[in-house]
Amino acid sequence: MISARLRRSLKREFRQSRMAQVGALILVVIFITTAFAPFFAPHDPTEQRIGTGTTEDMSYLPPPVFSTTENVTVFEDGERVTREVTTQGNWSFVLGTDRHGRDILSRILYGGRVSLSVGLVGAALAALIGVPWGLAAGFAGGRVDDTLMRWADVMLAFPSLVLAIALVGIFRGTPFHTRAIGDPFVWAANSDFVPNILIPRAGHVAEMPESMTFPVTVTIVVALVNTVWFARVARGEAISVREEDYIKAARSMGTGKLTILRKHVLPNSMTPIIVLATIQVAAIILLESALSYLGFSGISLSWGQDIQRGQSDLRRGWWMATMPGLAIVAAVVAVNLVGDWLRDALDPSIEGEGGV
Amino acid sequence: MTEILRVEGLTTRFFTDEGQINAVEDVDFRIHEGEIFGIVGESGSGKSVTALSLVDIVEKPGQIVSGRIWLRNPHLADSIRSDNPDAVDGEMVDLRSINPRLRRALRGSAFSMIFQDPMSSFNPSITVGEQIAEAVEVQRRAKANPRSTASRTQGFGLGQFAMATVLPSKRFVTPAGRDRAIELLELVGIPDPAQRAEEYPHQFSGGMLQRAMIAQALASEPDILLADEPTTALDVTIQAQVLELLEEIRDRTNMTILLITHNLGVIARTCDRVGVMYAGEMVERGTLTDIFRDSVHPYTQGLIGSIPQLDQVKGRLQPIPGNVPSLRAAELGDRCYFADRCPKAMKRCLEKPPMFDVDGSEKHRAKCYLAEQPYDEGDALPEDYFDG
Repeated sequence: MISARLRRSLKREFRQSRMAQVGALILVVIFITTAFAPFFAPHDPTEQRIGTGTTEDMSYLPPPVFSTTENVTVFEDGERVTREVTTQGNWSFVLGTDRHGRDILSRILYGGRVSLSVGLVGAALAALIGVPWGLAAGFAGGRVDDTLMRWADVMLAFPSLVLAIALVGIFRGTPFHTRAIGDPFVWAANSDFVPNILIPRAGHVAEMPESMTFPVTVTIVVALVNTVWFARVARGEAISVREEDYIKAARSMGTGKLTILRKHVLPNSMTPIIVLATIQVAAIILLESALSYLGFSGISLSWGQDIQRGQSDLRRGWWMATMPGLAIVAAVVAVNLVGDWLRDALDPSIEGEGGV
Repeated sequence: MTEILRVEGLTTRFFTDEGQINAVEDVDFRIHEGEIFGIVGESGSGKSVTALSLVDIVEKPGQIVSGRIWLRNPHLADSIRSDNPDAVDGEMVDLRSINPRLRRALRGSAFSMIFQDPMSSFNPSITVGEQIAEAVEVQRRAKANPRSTASRTQGFGLGQFAMATVLPSKRFVTPAGRDRAIELLELVGIPDPAQRAEEYPHQFSGGMLQRAMIAQALASEPDILLADEPTTALDVTIQAQVLELLEEIRDRTNMTILLITHNLGVIARTCDRVGVMYAGEMVERGTLTDIFRDSVHPYTQGLIGSIPQLDQVKGRLQPIPGNVPSLRAAELGDRCYFADRCPKAMKRCLEKPPMFDVDGSEKHRAKCYLAEQPYDEGDALPEDYFDG
């Protein structure tokens, strides 16, 4: 499906656009560090260090270089004494710690797994449903088109976040609300089948959490909510491709409708769909963050959740909400930059369309 | 010569929001085996819609309203004679009366179409060879036993279908289809066909692509080849080559060809018999000499008069005054549609003329009172009759 001409165009556009290079770089870094989070995370993201007598209290540590000063009131010899306590950042917690003393960098790397996987799986799912929906509507036309697209209009009439929350409410009772997936890296490090030489940090990895939780409901919901965009774009493409002479030629040969759709309509509608899919990844990452910020995702380790918790601690420290927020910004901006690059390379005439 | 196609009273209308449009109105003609039949007419005269109606791919809001399309197919005629006696007449089968599934299966094998613009008639994202192979494959399936899924799909199940959508390497081209595609490309005179089959449409020139399209049309071994303005988009030297190719195919395989064009020169050099269309009607038809030398209808005469003659350098061409009428049903009166442009319009022409035999010959017919009587100046319509 990717021709040599397209590859050349992609390369040329990539060389010319500094933004595309930056976006791709950020995306690759985010992708590798989150996918291989057990290797890169300095600490177990769930380990708490609140000072229980035997362990040191590591809560509310700011990032290194920064320090916080607080007035702490203590009773000393029956008297109230107010002391200034200065907390200094620590290089082993590069982005600081939260109220339970958990390492924020590790939490961001692990939380990114949720955001990225929901973004990618959600966009793929949305395309998988929306593209056939739109192609069928556009190609059939007439009453079929009306019926199918009125549904899309109904879905568009609701703000996507409200619709998503309502759908989560409907689906959350199902047994697949969230699903724990074994972490392949931890599994490999723990197993005897893989020689330790292959995984230099096997010891480190083995101490990491053994599974990650994947929010099945949220993924399905964000996919459903964003399906409409794919349906609309695919429909528009199908309508314009339908009028092409080669469709008429195929019909005159007796080619079936399904084959015409797959062989002639789909490949010639791919360009805007690919561009839309990348932009939708960003939109879905944002939507997922919003849902988990509001506490609908059913998982406790994600960027949205960490912002929400950090928000209540904003008076004690800015970094707890800001760091995951920056991660979201970086991911969304990077995806959008890559999307722009694809759009420019594939077809300069189309404008990006995304529902955020 | 055996008759292979007989069209009776074919009427195709478009029911648009702006009103009903009579694109093809009560068209009759016959084509014999191995013959090149030409349909000539101005833009918007219903030539192409006639062809689309034959293949049954008229797009909505268009609809074939009435008429019968008799195609010679002895095998099919025998098999449906007992079930559907109305649809059979001797060896002829009425394509409009058989069930739609059967009709679709016959699409490629009965008619193949060559379109005007070869550049837009190939899918730009698939190689030319693959598209020809598709036509081969569609025919193979249509001919396969309809009751056996295995024989129709040849192992190409739903899983393969899904795979083919995603993976370019899983494209549905059987080796047999590919070989046949190369063979066909060679037949239409494309050099180095094996190499060319792997190329994409944009790597072909217009003339080459038109050849490739003819190859694609031949892939299904059709009874009749419908060529809808096959040379219009090509430059003149290539036009001649393509016409030669069509004639060569006819001579070699006894293929029947229906050639649609607005170019009388093309008609004159290729066709055996001709039908002239005007405003959705076939106003005159006959052999090449009937039309070019003994034409009766003033429209046909006007068309011939407006051909540039190389031996008459001086003097202006004689165009037919006025324009083709709008085909909107509400605006079409019940008169001869050409009367307003006709230099020989008579009062009689305000009443629709039927099809007359010219000189008592059933082979040369014209929809004009002049076939029956000479022009009567005393009865002429005043020149400004239609201006008011």
